[in-house]
Parts: sequence; structure tokens; C-alpha cells
Amino acid sequence: MKEQIDSIQSEALAAIAAADNERALDDARVAVLGKKGTLTLASAGIKDVPKEDKAAVGQLLNAARSAITTALEEKQAVLRNIADQAALAGIDLTLPARSVPTGSLHPLTILRDQAIGILRRMGFALAEGPEIEDEFHCFDALNTPSDHPARNEKDTFYFDSGKLLRTHTSTVQVRTMETQKPPIRIIAPGSAYRRDEIDATHLSVFNQLEGLYVAEDVSLPDLKGTLEYFFRELFGSDTELRFRPHFFPFTEPSFEIDVKLKVKGQEPRWIEVAGCGMVDPAVFEAIHKSRKDDLFDPEKVTGFAFGMGLDRLSMIRWGIKDIRLLIENDSRFLKQFA
Amino acid sequence: MNVSLNWLATHLDLAGKSIQEIDNLFTFAGVEVEGIQVKGIASDKIVVAQIMEAVQHPNADRLKVTQVDAGEGSLRQIVCGARNYKVGDKVPCALPGAELPGGFTIGETKMRSVESKGMLCSSTEIGLPPGEDGLLILPEDSPIGRPVKELFESDVLLELEVTPNRPDLLSHRGMGRELATLLKTPFLPLEIPTRTTRVASASTIELRSPTACPLYTAVRISGVTVKESPAWLKQRLESIGLRPINNIVDVTNYVLHELGQPLHAFDAAKLNGGIVVRTANEGEAFIALDESEHVLVAEDLVISDSSGAALALAGVMGGLTSGVTETTTDILLESAYFTPQGIRRTSRRTALSSDSSYRFERGVDPAGVLPASALAVKLILELAGGTAEGTTQLAGEAPVLTQPVVLDAKKLDQLMGGSISLTDAEEILSRLGLSKLADGKWDVPSFRADLQRHIDLVEEIARVHGLDQVPSRFSGTFVPTSPVDAAYDADMAIRRSLASLGFHESQTIKLISDAQMVDALTLRPMQEGDIIRVKLPLSEDHAVMRPSIVPGLVATAARNVRLGTKSLRFFELGRVFRNQGGGKAKDLESDSLAIVLSGPVTAAGWSQTDRAADLYDLKAVIAALLPSTKVQLVPKDRPGFALGAEIQADGQGIGAFARLLPSRERELDLGGAVFVAELDLSKLRKLRAGISHAEPLPQFPGSARDAAMDLPATTANLEIEKAVAKVQQPLLVSFDCFDVFTDPTGEKLPADRKSVAYRFVYRAEDRTLKAEEVDAAHQGVLEALSKALPLKFR
Repeated sequence: MKEQIDSIQSEALAAIAAADNERALDDARVAVLGKKGTLTLASAGIKDVPKEDKAAVGQLLNAARSAITTALEEKQAVLRNIADQAALAGIDLTLPARSVPTGSLHPLTILRDQAIGILRRMGFALAEGPEIEDEFHCFDALNTPSDHPARNEKDTFYFDSGKLLRTHTSTVQVRTMETQKPPIRIIAPGSAYRRDEIDATHLSVFNQLEGLYVAEDVSLPDLKGTLEYFFRELFGSDTELRFRPHFFPFTEPSFEIDVKLKVKGQEPRWIEVAGCGMVDPAVFEAIHKSRKDDLFDPEKVTGFAFGMGLDRLSMIRWGIKDIRLLIENDSRFLKQFA
Repeated sequence: MNVSLNWLATHLDLAGKSIQEIDNLFTFAGVEVEGIQVKGIASDKIVVAQIMEAVQHPNADRLKVTQVDAGEGSLRQIVCGARNYKVGDKVPCALPGAELPGGFTIGETKMRSVESKGMLCSSTEIGLPPGEDGLLILPEDSPIGRPVKELFESDVLLELEVTPNRPDLLSHRGMGRELATLLKTPFLPLEIPTRTTRVASASTIELRSPTACPLYTAVRISGVTVKESPAWLKQRLESIGLRPINNIVDVTNYVLHELGQPLHAFDAAKLNGGIVVRTANEGEAFIALDESEHVLVAEDLVISDSSGAALALAGVMGGLTSGVTETTTDILLESAYFTPQGIRRTSRRTALSSDSSYRFERGVDPAGVLPASALAVKLILELAGGTAEGTTQLAGEAPVLTQPVVLDAKKLDQLMGGSISLTDAEEILSRLGLSKLADGKWDVPSFRADLQRHIDLVEEIARVHGLDQVPSRFSGTFVPTSPVDAAYDADMAIRRSLASLGFHESQTIKLISDAQMVDALTLRPMQEGDIIRVKLPLSEDHAVMRPSIVPGLVATAARNVRLGTKSLRFFELGRVFRNQGGGKAKDLESDSLAIVLSGPVTAAGWSQTDRAADLYDLKAVIAALLPSTKVQLVPKDRPGFALGAEIQADGQGIGAFARLLPSRERELDLGGAVFVAELDLSKLRKLRAGISHAEPLPQFPGSARDAAMDLPATTANLEIEKAVAKVQQPLLVSFDCFDVFTDPTGEKLPADRKSVAYRFVYRAEDRTLKAEEVDAAHQGVLEALSKALPLKFR
């Protein structure tokens, strides 16, 4: 019996060693451990072994089974490892990727979102208003004289109803003050319209961002600090700014803000980025009249307002030479912002 | 406005100021410097040289080799191609190192193997106005070796943009006064003789419209000789880009740019009787100096004579026939104050604008009317001879446009953040020409009619003090999130989702053409009266306020196809505009999302073939935006589109879906099926608001049952969904279509039938369902389906 078990074991181990794939290994396993396998049959033969030898033969059988099983497992691990390596060997990592469509946000959205993000951190909430406006909200309430050139049909789009397309987002200042109480701290991104022929630097529909802060004791230092912080966040902490005195009907004093644009290979130059100023008391007077209460009495509140052209800012930001790229939606242009 | 720096320097000392400093000075005065032109010769190394010898170049027919004396002790050899000189002439010589306009630097070179140590120059080569062809021949007495720049006046022309509130800056004197104030340097006095005045009789000057013209003055000067102006005057005018005409007209132009007061000189011989200042007759004809013809209206103001003929459009432009010509001997010099509003109206309506109307419509200094007249009279007598009548005739009176203004020290301190003391603030006002009265009141000079309120004084103080002197404060009120904030965040999330799904965000113009209206996929159909048109569109392409974003995206798709893009995936969020009910409800604005999809979904490559996008791809995109709702396209005819449908989320209409008509796709060369969707953003925001409560996970397994149905090919899948939903089987947790089979050949299935396979999943919250329970529930669903639809189970 011992010889028989030894020979089963050595034959099985030889077959296992010879197997060069999992299939052959499985055949080898079945041949020895299957229902009719040699060791299975040998184990069944134990019933014919004399009682006194049973324990010893049993031990021999177990030892053989254990050795064969171990050899099978080891061989299986080796074969799988070889198969795994073979499966991974031929793969060319440098073939081009499969295509997944990649989309993009419009540059204006990216810039606007960044601007809004900065201003929200500074505690401004968003506000909005209609784009089809009336003269009161677009001009009258903003202290614009009745014969101001901006009211001209050559410069502003009107409708037969007498309404117009807002020429600036400053209308939202008025809309907000009509419905909310001070303190007011809002920003309003949105479209504005002017009857400008479309060319490399002009759009008839363009995008602005308006800001307004009205409370007790809002002062020039607030205006200055807010816009300095904003533009340094937007263009970098070392951005140089200057506030040039200017004139707007609805703010006084009024300023235009320039930042120093530094482009490699070019002389640094000042470039206008925004208009701002302290809310003109005449605007508060108009609100006062419209609301019929004294919440915006110019003796009680002061405020500052600012406005900037987002199209222009994105042109500065990415060195875009022609504003029309922003409305042509050429996918070759848009893809750059993916 | 053009300003000559030399002219400006007659009003204040600008010595030692660099152009950069002057630029800054204007900038911080609130005057934008739009351009700076340096005139004259810049380099010191261009000197007077005398040509001592000129011989033929040995190797070039057209060149001469000259020896010139540039005052260096020895002669300098220069090769020159000009022919207009003779030996002995003095010419400009650019020595090595001289920089010529255009950034060109002179060096020592060889020209055709002959040494040339410099360059003899023409007038344009050294930055002077063009002269005779060839070299600039200098006067014989020009000192040899002297820099040529010293022989020619140089100047700087500043192109300035003055804001509409500062008409007082629209002259050299006014600008000089401002700069002197800012520089704290003396404002040089100007000698203007005072003339006596007398009130004109109504037959001399009749003011019929004192509101439009409160003050009119005239001086008659007889026996003048109209001729060319002297060099100094011509140079002054040319220095700011004006063309000299004759001594009389030039004087009026000079005074306008010197003092800011427009004047007009009439040929007295062409005047019939006295001056009448009146409004025009409705329909009155007028031919202006520039020969343009105008039909006037009753609100225009004209200067006419006793005969009634309009001689000038007051303050805007003179008439063609009443002006000064070479034969004029007697003139009538007008100096007046015209009210801004009227001038602005007339100038705009007639599209006539002049240096004169530009100033009147912004407001001239009423106190400047007489001095300007006096200066002009003095200059005319000097330059044209003749005699002026002894007194200036005057009608009306100078309007008083200023009044004392209170400076509120407390408010000033608040607004300036305590950055300026009252003493310093008052010093600024004094420098600006204001004078302190009692009770904090300040008297405002007549030329500063823009200073009417406390805040106007604050503006002056802030401007002169400079914002760089004001500290920065970084603080503010806390404010709550607004509904607009919430909508913005929702929209940004939608934008980012669509970008992640491979779509490019577009921005199209909100004004579209009538022709584009065929692509408008509005949420609700439009009637003609619902279209909002602008009154005076810039062009037909931008005439209609878009009621839908789809037309813009279709144009975007067409444009990109033309540029060779195959995969068209674009979206846009934004405002749309319409009336409702044929124009009953007006000017409605809402926010919309539009998506366009066309072309290959996957680009062909080594690993895959491409597949053209179909409607289910766009449906998938919409579903991806609304993962927690059931998105369905419910067929709804859309005139002008194919495959029109309402987009529903959990049964609620949220938008419109369609394919462009194949004929429209061909018309636009779109090269394939184009699918479009427009969704109501306000609804989308609400549906995407997120969950308020998380569902617990199921504790027990579910069981699936499949069913294959044989149905008419025309039965919509939606019918199956509806029939199943109607059963309201509480154990049914989901059902999904996993196969649709049709066979157009009719072999495996009749061509008019289709086989649809669904998987139904059943589950109870509180127990593992027994097989019989699942079977019973499933049977109920199948029975309901067979009752509702003409189907057989396979």
C-alpha cells in the first residue's frame, strides 16, 4: 500500500509540475483527487486495510493528499501569475485615450463666478432686476438729466411702449433700494445694452457687475478698501491700483479705477477696470420719494456704488484681443477654458 | 479737447514739468489724457551743418559724397542722395547716435564702400511738418553746430477728455487755472481791457427769447482788413489742429480756445437793421456755414436781422451768407450766453455740432461773455485795423447760476473717513476760487456752476486731496443670502453638470433676427403680439428680444459646423423675453436653459467607431440634470420642428424638446440630426433643490420578474409606463425596459409589431417576500397591462 500511495503521489506531483496551464492543472487535479481520481480510489481502498494498519495508511493518505493539494495550490498561483503577466504584457499604455466629451464653462462665467466669489466673501448678496426697464429706473432715479445723451434713441434701445433696454446694471441699485431696507450690501451681475455697432472692442449687449453698499456711515475709506481688496483678489495681491477722479451722474465723488497691467514683453500700462463713487444724495432723494418713507433719507444713510464690465475684465484677464470671441462661441476658443 | 502745452504755459509756469508729470496731473484732476503727441525735434544730436563739398559717388549714380562742417573742427564725410541743395547750404545733420522719429538711430556706415558718418536730413526725417522735397535748407544765418531743435519750436499736443460737469476746463485759461490750483503755483494774470457797456435799444438788439438767450452782446468794428493772420496766431491754432482761415475768424477761434467763450463775427454789410434773437419759425429753412441745409423747428433759436432772415443758428453754427469774407470791411462781433438745454436739443436734432455748441451745451461762464468780447475786439483792432464802437451793446443780463453752498464739516469728516482736516479742506476750496462766507457757507465763482450742493464741495475736496490720501477700511455689514443667491448657485451647479457632461457653455446675443424666430423653441407657443421688437435696431440681425435661447444655439451650431467642428454640444443659460396672450401681458422676462446636441456622441478612434447622437442622448442629458425625478418626453406637436415634445419631470412640464426639421438642418448645412431642448430654469432650480430627508436603506432583498410583451409597433413606451403606474402595486419598487426588438423584414416578428422586455422589481419594507407573493403581485401588473394595451406576453 505504501508503494502504491508513494507512486500516486509522485505521479500526481509530476503531472502538476508538467501542467503548463490552468486547464492541464485541473486535469491533473481531477486525475488524482476527482471522484475517480487515483488518490480518491486509494482512499476508498482503506476499508480493505487490516485494522492495525488503518491508522498508518490513513496517515500516509493524508500526507499524500496534503502534499498534492499544496503542490496544486502553489502551481495554480504560479500559473495565474504567469497568465496575469501575459494578460498585462501586451498593453500599450501610450495609445491615445478613448474619447470622452469634455465641456467647458464660458470664460465670462468663470470670471463672473470668481468676482462673485470674492464679493460674497466680503458679505455682498446677489440682487437682480429686469433688463427691459423704464426711464425712471434707468435714468430719472439715477440723477440723469432729462436731456442726457445716454437717453438718446441713437445710443439706447427703446421700445414702442416707451420702455428701454437698461444701459447699465445700476438700475438694480434703484430696484433694490425700493424694496429692501438699509443696510444694503448687494452685487448685481447682468446684461446691459447700448446701441453700439459690434466691433473688436464693442458689443451692443454686454455684461456688467454692479455693487452697492448703503448703511449709516459708509465712507470713502469703505469704497477704497472694498475695491482694493476686490481687485487684488482678482488680479493678484501685488496689483497696483489707482483711483482717478471722474464724473457719473449717480455718484459723487466719482472715480474710475485703473489697474497696472503687466504683460511680459510689454511696457506696464494703466488700464481702466471699473467706475465707482459715493451714492449721490439725489439718488437717495429719488428713492425717498418713490418709497414714501425716510429709510433712505440722505441725512441718515450714505453709500457707495461700483460697476465694472465683465467682458472687458475677461479680455484683460486672458489677453483676449477681440471682444467678439466672447459671443461667437467658436468651440476652438471655448475648449481652451475646459 | 486738444490742448497745446506751449499755449497752456502762457497761463502758468510749467517749467521743469515732464510730460509724464503733466499726464498724471490731468489724470488726477479727473481729466482723461487720451493721447499725447510730441511735436518738433527731440534729439540734441541733430545739428546745423554747412555743405562744403559734394562730389559724385564713385559707385552710385544717384549718390553724392559730401564734406560738411558740423562745427566739430574738422569736416565730416556723409553720403547723401538728395539733389535740392548747393554747396554752401546749411542743412540738418544727424550725428552718429542721433535718434530719429520712428526709433531709428544714426550710426557710422559705409554706403557702397564709401564711409558715411551721419545723415543729412529732410524736414519729415527729423519730425517736422513736410517741406520741400530733399534736404531741409536752413536759413543762411543758422549757427553751425547748433542743435536744430533750438531753431524750431517744439510743442506737446494733449488730447483730453473733459467730463460733462466741467465746462470750465474747455479752454486753455480754464485748464491752466485748474493746473495752477493743483500745483499750488501762481495762475498768471491775463491782460484784458475792460470796455464800457450800454443797454442796446430794441432796434439794435432785440431779445425775444430771454430764457434761451438771457444775455447777448455785440460790438461793431468798422474798416477792418480781412487777411491772413500773423504767424503767432496761425501757429497757436495749428498747434491744436485748427486750420487758420482769416484774421477775424482766427481771432474768434483763438478766444474760444483761450477763454472758452464762443464768439461769432457777422459781416455787418449783410445785416439788415438790428439783431433779433428769436425762436425759429416751424419749417424755416437754414443753410449753415458748412453748406448743410436744415429745416428748423420752433424750439430752435436763431439770430436774425430786422428783415427776419436767419443769419445763424444761435450758438451752433453761422449761416452760409452772413459770415466774414475777404471783402468784409465792417463786422458785428457777437458774444452771448445761450442756455445749454436749447443748444443741446438743436445740435442733436440737426446733427450740427461745433466747438461753439460743444461749449454752450455744457454751459459757459456767464461772467466770461464780456471779457471774451473785449479780448477779441483788442486782437481784431491789432490784427485787422479798423475802429470799434466805444461801448459794447448789451441786451438782457448775465444769469446767476451759482449760489452760496454750505460745507457741512461733520458730513465731510464722515465721508472722508477723517482723512482731511477742515483747515486743509477749506484751503482746497479757497485755491479752487471759492470764498468763505459766514455760517459755513462758501461763495462759488461764476465759472463753477457745477458746485451747487454740499456734496459737490466734498467732491472737489476729495478730488484735490486725492484718494491715495484716504485710508482703506475693510469692514462691512453682514447680510443674509438672497433668493437671487440661491438661484445663482443652482445655475452654477447646472452649468458645471453640463460642462462635465461634455457641453460647452455659450453666450449668444439676446437680440436676434426675425429670420431666426423659426428656431425659437419657446416653452409656450408664441403669437405675433408676443414678440418684443426694439424700435431702432442696429440691424435686422438684432431686431427681436429673444423669446428662446435655441435660435442662438442653432446659429452657434451652424457656425461651428462651418468651422469644421463635428461634435456639436452647446448650452446656454440666460434671460428670455416675450409678451403673453398676443401682447396682453407685456415684457415678461424669465430665465431659461437651452441645450443643442448633434454630431457624433463618441469620436471615432482606434478603439471605437463613432455613433451619431440621437434623441435619447439628449434625453439622457436632461435626465442627468434631474437624477431624482422621472424625466419623460411627452409628444406634443411643434409647428416648425420635428419630434416635438414637452419635457416632463415627474409629470410636470418643465420645457420643450424637438429636433430641427430635416429641411432646416439642410438649409443651415448642419450635416445631420440636431436635437434641441429649452427648459424653464426656475422649475429646474426647484426640482434640483436637493432632498430634505434621506431614505433608510431597504432591509430585505427584492425579487425581479421579467416580462416580454408583443405590441403594435406604434404603441409608445409611455403607454406601458402609464398602465403600470395605474396599478399602484405597493410592492413594485421599480420597472425598467431592458430590450426593444423589431424586425422590419417581418421574419422573426411581424413588421408592425414590436417586442418590449421589462424587468419588474418587487420588495417589501418589512419582510423578505415569498415567491408566491411576488408572483401574485407580478400577475396583477401583467393583467392590468393586458387590459390597458393590445399586447400578448411572450
